[in-house]
Amino acid sequence: MNGYGGHILRVDLTNGKLTKEPTPAGLARDFIGGRGFGAYFLFKEVPKGADPLGPQNKLIISTGPFSGLMIPGAGKCDFATKSPLTGGYASASMGGHFTAEIKYAGIDSIILEGISPKPVYLFIDDDKIELRDAGDLWGKGTFAVEKHFKEKLGEEFQVAVIGPGGENLVPYACINHDYGRQAGRGGVGTVMGVKKVKAIVIRGTKSVHVANMDAYRAAGKALYKACKDAEFLAEWTRYGTTVVTSWCDEVGALPTRNFSAGSFEGGKGIYGQTMREKIVITDKGCFGCPSPCGKYSHAKKYNAYVEGPEYETIGLLGSNLGIDDIEAVAQANWLVDDLGIDSISTGNVIGWAMECYEKGILSKKDTDGLELNFGNAEATFALIKKIAYREGIGGLLAEGVKSASAEIGKGSERFAIHVKGMEQSGYATHNATAMLLAYMTCDVGAHHNRSWAITYDLQVGRELVVPEKVARVIWLQNFRPMFDVLGSCRLQWVELGINRDLYLPALEAITGVNRTWEDLEKVGERIWNLTRMYWARENEGFGRTWDMPSPRFYEDAPKTGATKGQITKLEDVNKLLDMYYEQRGWTSDGLPMPDKLESLGLTAVVA
Amino acid sequence: MPAYLRPTSALRVYIDGKDEVEVEPGRSVRETLVSLNIKPELIALVVVAGEQKTKDYVIQDGDIVKVLAVIGGG
Repeated sequence: MNGYGGHILRVDLTNGKLTKEPTPAGLARDFIGGRGFGAYFLFKEVPKGADPLGPQNKLIISTGPFSGLMIPGAGKCDFATKSPLTGGYASASMGGHFTAEIKYAGIDSIILEGISPKPVYLFIDDDKIELRDAGDLWGKGTFAVEKHFKEKLGEEFQVAVIGPGGENLVPYACINHDYGRQAGRGGVGTVMGVKKVKAIVIRGTKSVHVANMDAYRAAGKALYKACKDAEFLAEWTRYGTTVVTSWCDEVGALPTRNFSAGSFEGGKGIYGQTMREKIVITDKGCFGCPSPCGKYSHAKKYNAYVEGPEYETIGLLGSNLGIDDIEAVAQANWLVDDLGIDSISTGNVIGWAMECYEKGILSKKDTDGLELNFGNAEATFALIKKIAYREGIGGLLAEGVKSASAEIGKGSERFAIHVKGMEQSGYATHNATAMLLAYMTCDVGAHHNRSWAITYDLQVGRELVVPEKVARVIWLQNFRPMFDVLGSCRLQWVELGINRDLYLPALEAITGVNRTWEDLEKVGERIWNLTRMYWARENEGFGRTWDMPSPRFYEDAPKTGATKGQITKLEDVNKLLDMYYEQRGWTSDGLPMPDKLESLGLTAVVA
Repeated sequence: MPAYLRPTSALRVYIDGKDEVEVEPGRSVRETLVSLNIKPELIALVVVAGEQKTKDYVIQDGDIVKVLAVIGGG
């Protein structure tokens, strides 16, 4: 098939069996690739009720038709699994250079199945594919392991690796790559850990066939030219995602002290501008990127070299913990990356613990002697290590904020900031109803990247609860994840503002299939409904109550900052859900109706 | 000497689809944005001659003021 590697690689870790099968043409037609492949394989192949940490769960790593080709940011790779954090669908997108090597090895998806009896790493060098012993690497940090493979095998091999967090089954463990890129959310690293796979090391040298080489070159050049000509390319590259830190602070969206406010009095210390002046050494991009958002930094105070911190890490490990020193945030960033735990979930759960401590719900006796006041960077560093190794209070926090608050009780559930068990990422949503709805209905839990609607709130009126806002959230949910399906980065469209229609001739030239954005958004809707059915299948009683946000956003108005005294009313939260379900074609309890499934060609898939 | 405001593409709808619009020196960026019906809170970055400015920066003769809106997000 044009534009594809052509094979699905199955790795049976229990028996050490490796098999390749052709990528089904019908799968490429209906789900295209990347996130679409992951959702499909998860639904069809992981049996109902499978234990996320058992042998029946699978880790599905998928490229898309753009991956590894001459398309801006075509370095995206999707990791899908049944989440050990939420019990539902997990999908994490990773940049870097890993996905290109998968494609060049002639592979579209790698599916890890079963559980290895001992630590191994998966070695792929084109058609030479082996499971090799990783006993001597088990227990090591991600940076040391990646360096080990680069030195041993050569720079052209790409490495995806878990750290101690994944080995110790912290349910929000991530997978690291390229010394600073992650498949971060939902515990994809945990599933790799329970399968005893320390790393995947890959090199591919094969060609990728495209349908029309001349048209492909022309379409690729047009995309790159649009990026190069973009008015704000230099400014975007200078700051990357950190450009929004000061803006979030200004509009009351910066998570501050466990989301109790959206503006931080110490914000200037962690703004992108401060970071650029104080710690950034150079820019760092992924495969084929014309606008590198990665910032390689050196925090002298801690002698920490790290890619980042990017905005989410600044928000969650900075202002959310009351930390106003960008060097301390960089050090925390280095620790979570090396130990292999998600910076967003980690910062969120530590913020909850700090609030518990300041309210007297947790004492020094509970915290192994740590003074967990907001702003305590040293305690943050200590907690990160305790979480990754499940030591002392780290064992409690390692379970995630939903489980930890359920265990501690005493009202702490009211300020556990999550949806469906996934810790909320970096936007405070006291008074931003579209963004709040985006978090409530996101297909993996409280994550921002499917539908980043907060500026739409500001454009049309942040407190408004109207059908147009709901329609905007749904459109973004159907459209934005298509970049994860195609295998390229969304930021060129998002931040450089290039015309999305430029991608269509490229897709046709590569695959030979003419598609419109209407068609692609239909595929996005198909995947969205399939993952919703997955949640419902795996969780008895799944429905409306699972979509409720943290009470903090309808009970606790911030006492300071830009959103001081502002709150979303509970009746408006419910109104948002009513409108959302109606527009989605779902029942009033949030389940896709049979005719909706039929219209998307999903009836047989979910049967 | 005239000054110009050059907004990010998503905001060009406020200036009749043009790349830039002539603006009055002596007013702040914030005041200028309001006069064009652009909400200042949509703007994440103000740059003049390669240097970052705040929205309170007073526009000078000959300035080209680039304003970056965050529309799509991370």
